[in-house]
Amino acid sequence: MKITADTDSCVASGQCVLLAPGTFDQDEETGSVVLLTDEPAAGEEDAVRQAELTCPAAAIRLAGA
Amino acid sequence: MTTTEQTPRLPFSRGNALEIAPDYEALRREAPVSRVLTPAGDPAWLITSYEAAKEVFRDRRFGRSHPAPEQASRISYAAVQDGPSGDFESEEREHKRMRRMLAPAFSAPRMRALGDRIAELTDRCLDDLQAARDADPGAPVDLTDFLAFPLPVLVICELLGVPYEDREKFRGLSERIARMDGGEDAQAAMTEFKAYMTQLAEAKRADPQPDVISDMVAVQADDPTFTDDDLARMGAGLLFAGHETTSTRIAMGTLFLLTDTARRDRFAADPEGQVAQTVEEILRLTATSGTGLLRYAHEDVEIAGTRIARGDAVLISSDAANRDAAVFADPDEFDPDRTPNVHLAFGTGAHVCIGANLARTELRTVFPKLFERFPGLRLAVGLDEIAVRTNRVAGGVDRVPVEW
Repeated sequence: MKITADTDSCVASGQCVLLAPGTFDQDEETGSVVLLTDEPAAGEEDAVRQAELTCPAAAIRLAGA
Repeated sequence: MTTTEQTPRLPFSRGNALEIAPDYEALRREAPVSRVLTPAGDPAWLITSYEAAKEVFRDRRFGRSHPAPEQASRISYAAVQDGPSGDFESEEREHKRMRRMLAPAFSAPRMRALGDRIAELTDRCLDDLQAARDADPGAPVDLTDFLAFPLPVLVICELLGVPYEDREKFRGLSERIARMDGGEDAQAAMTEFKAYMTQLAEAKRADPQPDVISDMVAVQADDPTFTDDDLARMGAGLLFAGHETTSTRIAMGTLFLLTDTARRDRFAADPEGQVAQTVEEILRLTATSGTGLLRYAHEDVEIAGTRIARGDAVLISSDAANRDAAVFADPDEFDPDRTPNVHLAFGTGAHVCIGANLARTELRTVFPKLFERFPGLRLAVGLDEIAVRTNRVAGGVDRVPVEW
């Protein structure tokens, strides 16, 4: 599973960070999504899938199994 | 308009605090987009299906401003969500500026840092709840007085930099601006609310603090198009939205957990393990709005086969969308095992609630603490005795009497 996050369309809701704090973070200044890793952090596969579904800007994409 | 079939008029009435009006489902069965009359009596489109709600939330052809505001459908006689707001030409630019300005203060890292403080404030509220019980052991205690109202107020006061001592003042103002039949009094309250925020901003200008109002004052210093009126309106909006909605969720979440003892016991047995999912289910099921969220079409748009003309008012009912059986199995059932639970309680798209993380952080703190401390908490009255506020923009209940 490979994650991409589009910072241009990101609306800084931070929902992904709350769901999967090992995989996503937020820029302190702009609020934009920061990918900590392009694979889900250990144990966060489901949370990353949930983040893709709930991202209000559809900025998070998952590719592969 | 025919006399045999009248256009339904909002707000719809419901059976009790935990249900939503059956009219929503009846309308959705007919079509995802329906013609309704607003509480003010003007025509609007009501969105009741999940897919259509998501579509409108994400479609940039809808906004809060109106191409010809004087012709716009009026929603109610409150002073929030009552009609068009902002400027048609500059709305998108203004909105982006607002998000940029506020994003850092509401970011997840900032919420993590605030977590311990929220825990401390929650403990203090629970001490007060216990003290009220001890003072008169035979009498029920109102959870709204000691927890559901004060906690979100304490938190938003710290975040925005508003003195907690002023809570009765802005509680009163918040109630007055959000009464759907408020009329002149609602407008007068909004003027007073903005004057209060302007006064606060003055103080921050002289003595900046690490808080959101100081951030706004700093932005204003670099951007003269961000007027004093803009700042006052935004500050009042944040203070109103920041306490009223979370208050409602704490009260209603407690009701959901207490009306079924097995549900309460299950949660109380493992609060930390269950809280994330339980909070999402509380968010999904809590009906907070008598009208839904307001948008105006900025051009002709077709949604789910319905043509919506430029300038038409559209009310998106998240309450209805969150109970759409096409997306949520047994939509009226409280099921903390529901996954995924992609509800629209905070909206979605570019206008998604900026306080969503703050609300989640508060709710994820308050329910475990409440049930760790009072695992045997119970409702002191029947659910039917808890009055629903139908005349308020943010809905909610007046009281939640509890005992233990």
